Amino acid sequence: MSPEIEQFLAGMKKTIEEVVLPNLTDRFAQEQAGIVAATLGFLSTIQDKVFHYELLENQEYKRVLLDVLEICGEADGLSKPLRAACAKVEGHLQLDKPEDQTSLRPYPFIRGSNENMKEFLCEFIQLQPDMPAQIRTTFEARLKPFFKAIETRERSWVKGLGFDPEAAQQPDIGELLYADNYLRSAPFKP
Amino acid sequence: MPYYTQTLQHRAEPDDAWIEQIRARFPVEHSIDDVFTNKLKKRCKSAAHKTDFEHLESRLFDYLKSATGQQDLVIANPKRLSGGASKEQFTFELTWCPEAGTPATRKLILRMDPSESIVETHRLREAQILRAMSGEVPVPEVYWCDPIGLDLGHPFLIAGFLEGTVQPDGGDKASGLGMYFEPDLRDQLKDQFVRHLAHIHNVDWHHKDLSAYDKPRDNTTDGNAWSLGWWERVWHEDAVEAHPVVENAALWLKENMPVLEKPVIVHGDYRSGNFMYTHDRHINAILDWELCHIGDYHEDLAYTTLEILGTPTGDGRVLTSGLLLKDQFLEKYEQFSGNSVDSKRLAYFDVFSYYKAAVIAVATSSRTAYGRKTHLDAMMNLLSGFGYVAISALQRRLDDI
Repeated sequence: MSPEIEQFLAGMKKTIEEVVLPNLTDRFAQEQAGIVAATLGFLSTIQDKVFHYELLENQEYKRVLLDVLEICGEADGLSKPLRAACAKVEGHLQLDKPEDQTSLRPYPFIRGSNENMKEFLCEFIQLQPDMPAQIRTTFEARLKPFFKAIETRERSWVKGLGFDPEAAQQPDIGELLYADNYLRSAPFKP
Repeated sequence: MPYYTQTLQHRAEPDDAWIEQIRARFPVEHSIDDVFTNKLKKRCKSAAHKTDFEHLESRLFDYLKSATGQQDLVIANPKRLSGGASKEQFTFELTWCPEAGTPATRKLILRMDPSESIVETHRLREAQILRAMSGEVPVPEVYWCDPIGLDLGHPFLIAGFLEGTVQPDGGDKASGLGMYFEPDLRDQLKDQFVRHLAHIHNVDWHHKDLSAYDKPRDNTTDGNAWSLGWWERVWHEDAVEAHPVVENAALWLKENMPVLEKPVIVHGDYRSGNFMYTHDRHINAILDWELCHIGDYHEDLAYTTLEILGTPTGDGRVLTSGLLLKDQFLEKYEQFSGNSVDSKRLAYFDVFSYYKAAVIAVATSSRTAYGRKTHLDAMMNLLSGFGYVAISALQRRLDDI
């Protein structure tokens, strides 16, 4: 397939920067055109990684939700909302099974599954006051490294947008996603 | 774009039942409730935002004739302003008789809401606080305000235009974040910057006309609960995807909310980009009061000193609003205000401020661009980058605590 997306983006960016911007006289239009050029530059850095980013998140959310199910499964007398939250996750993992070859699914399926799993995890977070003390402690401990991984990944993803005062210390998103040219997160075994 | 979940569908196409449910879940001040409810009701009914610049002048002319009762006024040089991130801003010159028999020409600024903004706020609240602060700290003079938006199609406020500098030369930063001031300029601005905030917090608001504001009771959590309710509600109305770190922070803020002994006026967005100075280096305007409310002064202190809003010095330190180090800022604040800084409370509002920044820059900026509801759709997408830095900082701050 040619031209590659990167080529389209680079062409648009150059045109805006070298043809459009110098000929604009309105300050507001100049400002907006500059933002469009910056956006195109950012898209160039991430466009080939979007699918793998979602795929990695898919595997990470499945892992954490399976762990939450296990944690909740060890508790006696779970509240009704917590039991309902567990049931939702179990139902979803029948639709997007951990052992399935998710990498062969279309992008909207993976993205949709991820959005659902994020909402499920948020529901558990909201329900923490309902959890027995020991369960809550275990749940919090499980989430701590998960949160760390999220914030590092997202911060690397947006590094190119120029808002991060610590950009120089953030790894590139490619370094986070891949090791030895493979996606870092191992798929579930069938 | 598809709706991946039922929640996301509700947010994109809110119906009356869902709106009522969200209103009940997140109590906020009455005028804020009006703004948010109105936003949701028109969300799926209005088309993509389009500035009607062609007819703006004639509509403005009709409005001003009606507002002044004068038929012979003259509007000249209408221009769109760059540099903002929330409202559409235009300047124009108006010739009319501000007082009986005394014709005058003044340059004015029109601040108008887009169809949805990165911060949805109330123009009457903004007008009231600007009038209340007149004579207390330097602010633009408000002439007219239409919080409904019948005449120009969107709510608006018209104020006097002040000449001065917001961003020094070469300081092209989005919304003034991380702005750089030369050392000698810093030295001349920093005390003024702190002193004005100290004064804002010491204004006796009980005797000001702030009818659009709810007044928190002393020694309760009213003010802090409304502040959190504001941003929680915005998150749940606007977010284009769930986020566990943000959700966890909201729970932490609820479970650790301090009692507020003496509520004060909180500016809500006190930082570089929101003040202006003259060529002789005097701050001649404190701007952008739209997030103002009555609450805890630590909320302003934490927000203003957030590292992600500051300017890195290159040696690992960060200048608050590009002017002075955080410790210096807090020391001067205590000296100028007489208020003492409670480090535990400051830490609470650090978390709150990162949460607020995340809500604005991840949820609402993405939502407005998603719905094509603003004149700054491209910029709104870009600002989500700042939002994810805020979420990262939020999580790191919670880890520290």
